[in-house]
Amino acid sequence: MTGAVGLRRAAIALGGLALVAYPLVRLDDVYGQSILIFAFLLGLMASGWNIMAGFTGYVSIGQSAFLGIGAYTVALLALRTGVSPLLLAPLGGVAAALVAAVLGATVMRAREHAFVIITIALLFLFQTLALNLEGITGGSNGLTLPLPSWDRDIQNLPFYYLMLGLLALSVLLSWWIRRTKFGMGLVAIREDEDKAAAIGVRTPAYKVLSFVASAVLIGVAGGVYAYYLSFIDPRGMFDILISVQLVLAALVGGRGTIWGPVLGAFLVVPLNEATLNLGAAEGLHLFAFGLALGAVVLFLPRGLIPTVQAWWERRHPRPVAWERRAPATTAARAPAGPAAAPGRALLEVDGLAKRFGGVAAVDGCSFTVAEGGLTGLIGPNGSGKTTVFNLVTGMVRGDAGSIRFDGRRVDRVLPWERAHLGLGRTFQVTRLFPRMTVLENLVAPLRGFSWPNLATDAVSGPEARRAGELLDLVGLAPLAAEPAGQLSFGQQKLAELAQVLMLEPRLVLLDEPAGGVNPGMIERIAELLLELNRRGITFLIVEHNMPMVLELCDPILVMARGRVIAEGPPAAIQRDPAVLDAYLGEGWGKASRPDPSSQVEV
Amino acid sequence: MTHATETLILGLLIGGVYALLASGLTLIFGVMNIINVAQGALLVLAGLLTYELWRRFGLDPIAAAVVTTPVMFAVGWAIYRLFVARIRTAPVSMTVLLTFALAITIEGAMGLTWKNVFRSVTPGYFDESFHLGPFFFPKAQVFGCLAAVAVLAGLWLLLTRTWAGRAIRAASQNPQGSALVGVDFRAVATLTFAVGVATTGVGGSILSVLYTLFPASHYLWISRLLGIVVLGGMGSLPGAVVGALLLGVAEAFTATYVSTRWATVVFYLVILVVLLVRPQGLMGSRLRGDVVT
Repeated sequence: MTGAVGLRRAAIALGGLALVAYPLVRLDDVYGQSILIFAFLLGLMASGWNIMAGFTGYVSIGQSAFLGIGAYTVALLALRTGVSPLLLAPLGGVAAALVAAVLGATVMRAREHAFVIITIALLFLFQTLALNLEGITGGSNGLTLPLPSWDRDIQNLPFYYLMLGLLALSVLLSWWIRRTKFGMGLVAIREDEDKAAAIGVRTPAYKVLSFVASAVLIGVAGGVYAYYLSFIDPRGMFDILISVQLVLAALVGGRGTIWGPVLGAFLVVPLNEATLNLGAAEGLHLFAFGLALGAVVLFLPRGLIPTVQAWWERRHPRPVAWERRAPATTAARAPAGPAAAPGRALLEVDGLAKRFGGVAAVDGCSFTVAEGGLTGLIGPNGSGKTTVFNLVTGMVRGDAGSIRFDGRRVDRVLPWERAHLGLGRTFQVTRLFPRMTVLENLVAPLRGFSWPNLATDAVSGPEARRAGELLDLVGLAPLAAEPAGQLSFGQQKLAELAQVLMLEPRLVLLDEPAGGVNPGMIERIAELLLELNRRGITFLIVEHNMPMVLELCDPILVMARGRVIAEGPPAAIQRDPAVLDAYLGEGWGKASRPDPSSQVEV
Repeated sequence: MTHATETLILGLLIGGVYALLASGLTLIFGVMNIINVAQGALLVLAGLLTYELWRRFGLDPIAAAVVTTPVMFAVGWAIYRLFVARIRTAPVSMTVLLTFALAITIEGAMGLTWKNVFRSVTPGYFDESFHLGPFFFPKAQVFGCLAAVAVLAGLWLLLTRTWAGRAIRAASQNPQGSALVGVDFRAVATLTFAVGVATTGVGGSILSVLYTLFPASHYLWISRLLGIVVLGGMGSLPGAVVGALLLGVAEAFTATYVSTRWATVVFYLVILVVLLVRPQGLMGSRLRGDVVT
C-alpha cells in the first residue's frame, strides 16, 4: 500500500512538473497549449462538480452554467469599468457562489430528484437570460472583450498558468474539504441523509455550502476563460455539451475521489479533439459523448481510480492486526460524562401519538427517563418502541403530545439540534456509513454547529485522537482504517455506539444493542454500557434479550399497542399480569383456567 | 377583454397538449422513481418521424400517430430492457445520468439524420382557423388538443379499468407489496416505460404541426415538461393535467402581453419557486424525500 501511495505521489509530481514545463519547452505550440488550457478548465469544472455530486451525492447536470455566469459577470464588469478581466475574475466566482447559494436553498427540504431538475432549469434559465437581455448582454451577438495587453510573444502563457493554477487550487480545495468535519458530513449525507441528521449534521447548511464550494472556482475560471476566448455568446457559454464532458470526466476518473475528475479530464479532451477532427458532421460530437457517458454509467459506474484501487487491494491483501481483547473497562479510558444530577427527569414524553395511515403506531405514550439510569423499554413486536425512538430523535414528526429533554420542549426541534443538545441514538439494524472508514464514521458527528467548526480537521488532530480513544474503548482500534461496511454485525453495533459517543451525549437511545450479536459480544456490550453509565451517560434501551434487560436495566418500561402499560423494577415487571397479557395475548390467563364461554367458541 | 378571453382559451388548448406530453414523464416517474430526461428528445424524435411520413407518403400528421405510437412503444420497451433495467437498483443519480446520456445520444443521432435544420409539417389546415363569434382559433391547435384529450382519456381508462393499469398503479404505490400479490415488477416497469414513451407518438404528431422541430429543441421541451410535473406533483397524472393547463395559460398570457421570448422563462421560474415553497407540488408527494420539517 505504501508502495502504491509513493508511486501515485511520484506520478502526480511528475505530471505536474511536465505541465509546468511544457509551454516553456514548446513555446510555439499554440495548438497544444490551447488543448491543455481546455483540459485544465474541464478538470477544474469536473473537480468542482465532484464536491457536490461525488462527496454529497447530489448530481448536477447543468454545472456548466457557472462557467457562463462567471464569464458574463467578468466580461460585463470589464467592459463597463475598463479594469482587466483577470483582476475581476474573482468576482465571477462571487457571482457563481451567490447563484449556487440561492439555488441550493431550493433543495434544503428536498432530495436528489429536485436537485437534478433545478440544475437543468439553472442552465437554460441563464442561457435564456443571456439571449433575451440584449441591452446588457448583447443577446445572441455576444460580447467582445478587449485583447490582452501583454506582449504577443508570450501569447497564451498567462492563461495557461492561470488555468493550471486554478486547477491546482480546485484539487487542493477538494482535498481539504474531504479532510474536514464539513467533508465528513457531506459524505455522511451521501451515504445516509437521515442518519447524518441524527448525528448532528445540519444537512441543509451542508448541502448549500457544498453547492457553493462546487461552483465558486468554476465562476472564477469563467472570467479567465472569457478573456482568453475574447468573445462570449450565450450558446457557447451556457453549453450543455460542456456539462456532459465534465460529468463524463468526473465519472470516468472516479466520482468521489480527489484526482479522478482531473484524470478524467485528460482522457475526455483527446476524445473531444478526435471527434472534432473526425469531420464536421452535425450531431456526431453529441452522439459520441452521449454514447460515452451512457457506457460509463452502465459499465464503469465507479470510475477508473476506485476500480483500479479495488483491483490492487484484491491483489495485495493487507492483514488486519486483530487480537481478541478483554473488554475495556478501565475507567481512565472512558470519556468523562457531563455533570449528572441522578434522579432528575432527563426525558419526559407526554401523550405522544403518531399514525401511519390507519395504524396508530404510537398512541398516547407517556413516560419519563431519570438522569443517570439505565432504563429498559420492552414490549412485543409492533408495540411502537422504534417509532418512539424516531419521534424522540426527530426522524419522524409526531401528530400529538410533547417531548421534553432536560426540561426543554424539543418535539419541534430539528434532528441535528436535538443531537447537539446531547440526544444520541443507535439503530436496530446499524446505520453506519458503509463506504466510509470506521474512523471517518466516528469523526462525522457534529457536537454543535458553527462555521469554524466545519473547517476543523477531522482526520488528524484532537477529533481524530478522540475518535481513536473511543475506538480503543470499544476495542475496534485495529479496524480504524477499514470501510465500515466490512465489519461484522457485532462490530458495527460497537462502532455505532462509539460514533454516538462522539456527540458527548447525555442520553443515548439504544435500539436492540444485543440483537443479532453473538453471546460473547453481548457480555462485552453490557459491560461497556455499565461502564459508560457510571461515567454519567443515561441510557434508554430497547431490547428483546430478556436476561440482559433484567440484569442491566432498572426501571423497565413496558409498551403495548403504542403506549406504556407498566413501569417498575425488573422483579415487579416479571410478575405484572398486564405485561404477560401484552406478550402472550389478551386473556391467556383466562384460557388457562377452564372457562365455559371460551369452550363454547372452540 | 375579448383579447384576454381568446388568450385564455388558447392557453387551455395549449395546456391540453402539454398535459399529454407530460403524462409519459410523470407516469414513468410515478412507477419507477426515474426522471426520464430523454423524454423531450424522444418527443422531438417522434415529431421528426411524423415529418418523414408526411413528407414521403403525404400522411396526415395526426393520422401518422397510428404508425409512430407503436414505433415509440417499441423504442421505449427497448430502452428499458437494454439500458435502464440494468441499473434499476442504482442510486437515483445514476439513472438520471443514464437518461441524460440517452437524450444527448438521441439529439446527436437526430442531428446526423435530419441535420440541424428547422422543420415543420404543414398540412392543408395548418394556417386555417375556426371562427366562433369574435374569437379565432387555429384549427391545428384545436385538432391537437382534441387528439391529446382523447389519448389522455384512453390512458386514464387503461390505468383504471384494466388489470395491467391496476398493476402499474399498485407497483407505483408499493413495489414489494405488489410483487407479493403476483405482479411481476420487471414486466410492469417495462410496460410503464414503453407506454410512457409511446405517448410521444401522438405528442410528436401534434408537435410537428404546432411547433418547429429541431434536434436541440428537446431541451426546451424537457424544461417545459419538468415545469409541468413539478408544479402538478411528480408522479401524479391529475397533477400533470392541472399543471399543464395552468402553465399553458401562463405561457399564452406571457407570450401575448410580454413577449414570446420570455414565455419559456415562466417554466424555469415555476420550477424554482415550486421546489422552494412546496416541493411536493400541487398534487404529489413523492418529491418530498424528507421526513423532517
